[in-house]
Amino acid sequence: MSTEAALRDRCRALLQSGEVALVVGYRAARTGGNCTPAFVTGPDQAELLVLDKTCHHNLAAYLPGLRHKGRVAVVSTGPTSRSIVNLLKENQFDRKDLHIIGVPDPSSAPASNVRNAVLFDEFIGDKADEPAPAPDQDLAAFEAKTPAERWEILFADLSNCIRCYACRQVCPNCYCPTCFVDASRPQRVGRTPDRSDTIMFHVMRAMHMAGRCVECGACARACPMGIDLMVINRKVAAIVRDRFGHVSGMSLDDPLPLTTFTPEDGQEFIE
Amino acid sequence: MTARLLPKKDLPGFIAALAKKQEVWAPVRIQSQEAARFSRIDRPEDICLDYLNTKLPVKELFFPQREVMFTFNPGERSSAQASAQVRERVVLGVRPCDAAALELFDKVFVDESKTASPLAESKTAGPLADPYYKERRDKTTLIGLACNAPGQACFCTATDGGPHSTRGLDLLLIDLGDRFLARPVTAKGEALAKGLARAKDKDISLADELAEEARATMDFAIELKQLQKSLDKAFDHEVWHRLSLPCVNCGVCTYVCPACHCFDVTDEEYKDSGARIRTWDSCQFSLFTRHASGHNPRPDGMSRMRNRTLHKFCYFPKTQDKVLCVGCGRCITECPAGIDLRETLETLRDTLS
Amino acid sequence: MDSASGSDIIAFLRRNRMAESDIPSEQVRPRTAAAPFDPRIVAFLCNWCSYAGADLAGISRIQYPPSVRVIRVPCSGRVDPFHILKALQEGADGVLVSGCHPGDCHYLTGNYVARRRFAVLHDLLDFFGIEPGRVTFSWVSAAEGERFAELVRHTTERVRALGPMSRLARNATARVVQ
Repeated sequence: MSTEAALRDRCRALLQSGEVALVVGYRAARTGGNCTPAFVTGPDQAELLVLDKTCHHNLAAYLPGLRHKGRVAVVSTGPTSRSIVNLLKENQFDRKDLHIIGVPDPSSAPASNVRNAVLFDEFIGDKADEPAPAPDQDLAAFEAKTPAERWEILFADLSNCIRCYACRQVCPNCYCPTCFVDASRPQRVGRTPDRSDTIMFHVMRAMHMAGRCVECGACARACPMGIDLMVINRKVAAIVRDRFGHVSGMSLDDPLPLTTFTPEDGQEFIE
Repeated sequence: MTARLLPKKDLPGFIAALAKKQEVWAPVRIQSQEAARFSRIDRPEDICLDYLNTKLPVKELFFPQREVMFTFNPGERSSAQASAQVRERVVLGVRPCDAAALELFDKVFVDESKTASPLAESKTAGPLADPYYKERRDKTTLIGLACNAPGQACFCTATDGGPHSTRGLDLLLIDLGDRFLARPVTAKGEALAKGLARAKDKDISLADELAEEARATMDFAIELKQLQKSLDKAFDHEVWHRLSLPCVNCGVCTYVCPACHCFDVTDEEYKDSGARIRTWDSCQFSLFTRHASGHNPRPDGMSRMRNRTLHKFCYFPKTQDKVLCVGCGRCITECPAGIDLRETLETLRDTLS
Repeated sequence: MDSASGSDIIAFLRRNRMAESDIPSEQVRPRTAAAPFDPRIVAFLCNWCSYAGADLAGISRIQYPPSVRVIRVPCSGRVDPFHILKALQEGADGVLVSGCHPGDCHYLTGNYVARRRFAVLHDLLDFFGIEPGRVTFSWVSAAEGERFAELVRHTTERVRALGPMSRLARNATARVVQ
């Protein structure tokens, strides 16, 4: 049986038995092309579920909105499950209301190098081979540029931002009831695409991703203006990895790096 | 009006001639991307005409995302200064759907039936109009580019338009291979095309054939009047909960929409000056309806998604007799959650009928 | 300024944009090619150590440049990276953040947690190509008046060498007006 067929059978059974009220997975789009998130509430709709190489949404982004709405099953690829780990650590979802169906990441071009679900109640399909960790050459090449060059490139790219907040809305980490850019008493950041305000938004967004971003690439894919947000996210992940030895979303046990400390943390930058 | 011919090899010369009298704006490829955006043209070779839709619709030239309405110096009386004047310009390469949306904008920003400031003794009282929009509109000539190969997400034929529609345009260019057929729509457009050779009958019939072919590739159709009637009674229907589940409530669909026109006005201060700024706003943001008290009449994603659909396909057609959608398909291709507006409309039709 | 809530800090930074008029007139040197420019630096000082250290510098009559505007915060852990960036956006040429030495925090661990946050911000600003010298982090105790003065002298000279803040500053960025 194919992974997809097994997934449908299992979801049908879960919905039939009433174990879960909702399955969050993927379904085909109206005119083909990329898959779209599916919200399946009845056993007869389980046929809709698909799993193919265009399944790249990070479904964990929907979980904070589904709290207290019954038990939810989530089809979880590697990145989705890592985001779920973070949401659980940040108390944004009740573990007992969650049934995680682990699957290997079927995406043809995964942004993340963790392909299999890291936390699951059951795993469907054969585990994919995890790529060996390789040095991030794109990031290294970018960092080799002078500070002025880096600023010019990032500034030019971020100047295209239209402040639609798609990057924020598709991110499982961005569940704040009021985002700092929406705070208006006082107004923290201007609402227009003024370039200094846009840079403020993106630098602070990067700060808020520190130790939490799982590099799923959802923000970069969501951006209608094609801004390369992943170069920033990968750098933030690299900072946290190099400084604090933390890889985000891999385990429920280690604390979030920016909520903890050791007395021995490096402070070579402090005078 | 007389259709004319513009050989492709003469296009740079045609543009250079236009540029002598006014600014020329056209789609330009965004650096390193397979996409184009309207920009001021300095050299004809920068123009990119092999795009399906520009990233952002042509509305950004008439209703910029960030518009400085006036500037002022705090503490100084009467220091307000109106924003810079717009120059005469030609916008080249506008898709028929984008141009059709400007007709809808005209309904919103210019009301010919009312006169501005009836109480004022102004001698120049014209139609009640947004001065920023109207000035840009009046000073712009639109040259369209017909679609011979509509995209997968296009559905303009369902919204009172078409791949060769001339709604809102002054002149329409139709690609006939090595030449364009130039179809004037308004006197402004005719003036631009005056110097070109007359088109032969076979060119016109070829253009008509291409229009039919393009139309035939678009299969989405929906009875909009009927839909409007059923939507009118569907405010509390459970279908909205189902439809809005995948929506992440970002502002992409509204910002890339050629017909969405909601805005916010904010004051920004700098060190020793200030500006009143009009900026795009999106009904998908919670801030859009949040009251000063903190109360929000549209508190969740469902009510915001419902509002956008109802505004486009029920409220606006009720008062203006046209749907607030031109079928460009940008919301479909750019939606981060892959929501297809056509599917939403089909579901609504099937559920509500 | 007295201890402030988060909103107050932002409101303060927005209202008190670092205008020339901030500096008493006798201290203002005109910005000409001949005279070096006087940088404006916002200093976030923790209530228990660094603010007291600045106080000591004052009552000891130790001379240091009049370039800093002090914002007193309860703890270096209170300093949100946003406050630092906002100061740079609204007209400061540099930012100085100072708290108790590690192990001496009045709230036991506030400065340890802050240190991690500042480390990420430090690396991130460098990545964005914003000169690392713009934002200085330091530990100054209540007994270190001379150290505080030296820190201000040193920071002022470094920011002076960097010149006015342009990258994040609001007024320096191009506006799109069509």
